Amino acid sequence: MRGPPPRHPDEQREQLPPVEGFISDAAELAEGVRVVYPNQGVCTVVGIEEKDISGQKLQLVRMRREEDGAAVLVPRNKVPAIGLRKVATGGQIDGVFHYLAAQFDDPELDWKVRHRDNADRLIAGGVLGLAEVVKGLHTLSRLRPLPAKEREQYDNARHLLVHEVAVSLGVSPGLAEDYIDYVLMPPPGVTFDVPPPPAPVLLPPRPRRRKPAAEEEENVLGDLGLGELGIDLDLVAEAEAPEAAGEGATEGEGAEAKEGGEEAEGGAEAVAAAPPADDDAEADEDEVPPPPRAEKKATKAKPEKKAPAAKPKKAPAEKKPAKAEKAEKAAEKKPAKKPAAKAAPKRGGKKK
Amino acid sequence: MIRVVTLDELDPADLAFLTRSLYRAFGLGTEYAGDRPMPDGAEGKDGRVDAVALLRDAAPVRTFADDKVLYVASAPLSLPPGPLGEPPCWGFAEFGKERALVSTARLAARGASESSIEAFQRRLAREAVHAIGHLWDLHHCVDARCAMHPSWSPHLPASPEMDLCPFCRDKSERKIRLAKT
Repeated sequence: MRGPPPRHPDEQREQLPPVEGFISDAAELAEGVRVVYPNQGVCTVVGIEEKDISGQKLQLVRMRREEDGAAVLVPRNKVPAIGLRKVATGGQIDGVFHYLAAQFDDPELDWKVRHRDNADRLIAGGVLGLAEVVKGLHTLSRLRPLPAKEREQYDNARHLLVHEVAVSLGVSPGLAEDYIDYVLMPPPGVTFDVPPPPAPVLLPPRPRRRKPAAEEEENVLGDLGLGELGIDLDLVAEAEAPEAAGEGATEGEGAEAKEGGEEAEGGAEAVAAAPPADDDAEADEDEVPPPPRAEKKATKAKPEKKAPAAKPKKAPAEKKPAKAEKAEKAAEKKPAKKPAAKAAPKRGGKKK
Repeated sequence: MIRVVTLDELDPADLAFLTRSLYRAFGLGTEYAGDRPMPDGAEGKDGRVDAVALLRDAAPVRTFADDKVLYVASAPLSLPPGPLGEPPCWGFAEFGKERALVSTARLAARGASESSIEAFQRRLAREAVHAIGHLWDLHHCVDARCAMHPSWSPHLPASPEMDLCPFCRDKSERKIRLAKT
């Protein structure tokens, strides 16, 4: 049985190289090793233990969060998936400080993109990702106050960064925070001559925007498995094309043709309405398959065509000179105008 | 409970203003716990005192769980230099623990006029709230009007407020509520 189509079938996640110090093998987690658990902070490996959970024997890596001593248990086979990494090295910390000291006046202004990217950076960006979040939100806060969610995110990122820097430099968190803020908000007159900051963290691409409804429908049709059933969507499109082309042709002449078609019953405009009909016939004869967009145009144009048809007063206004000319030439057309004249008030009445 | 300890002489009026301000900022009882001598050899070669060492070596004060101790000194303080230099030091706190230190050395002179005394008291109270805030797990704040904004920041107003911003206030209240006592 086929499952639902992928939500974003054309936007496959790119496999990016892991951040520096990424732990891909649980064998690296010996007792006493300090690691960084994404979004949790620095932890110390206590050991590996076996537990019986729901009848399954699981090997769990037990860690202790250094900040508050909380216990963290991770199944051994899930270690590569959770993004554990080693504590930042001296070189990485230098990169962080160079990044924080660099001029940065261009924060992302779209809050959705910003929030999403920052969440990704906190999880998968390593220590430089933390610095990017802190720097970006700090710069933004200089432009306008941060919303509550982002203020929280900023505080979390700062907390994680401070503790990792503290562990890496071997100083207390209070001192590490002073170091960070000295660079981030230097006192008046202090400038730093630092090398260019490291390249920003690469994030996996996200789906950009939802497509317009018509395109989405097309994609859904493409995923219905019609190809497997022997139905060729292109052939179906070609078969529908002449109709679409006919509608497309009428679109060009717009309101007049449509009005003419309606007033054909009245007789006075029947002659004026004839040419569009001929155009349709020509289009049929040509049988030129239009590009697939023609269909969309036709479907989109439908509401536009209805709008002029609903105009009650335009038609009588145009008919008045015709009535005058034709009343002089032929008395036969006079009775034909009466129903048209009656029709206009009826429509108006309906509208009211 | 917040216990204030002086390492150098401080005017009783300033002390009273300080305890009142701390009580108002955190809603915790604040009292003066006496004075303690400056540790021997605290002063460095440049005449400044290493804040980290001073806080480590200062004479202890009897405390109970979740009590915070604030040492007030008048000597200029220094910090160990970091990767890009030494940050200016107005005070220092053991983040999330129980001891903090502030110095009056960087404050404007107390003077004798009412306004200068008030400015001195307010700035001292601001630095004290900042240091105690670190003891309650508060980080530096981006809001320049908040007492947790870094003391050396170029965005800090000439006479900074000694109140916490709503975010820091909420966070500190949450931490205080979750404290053991």
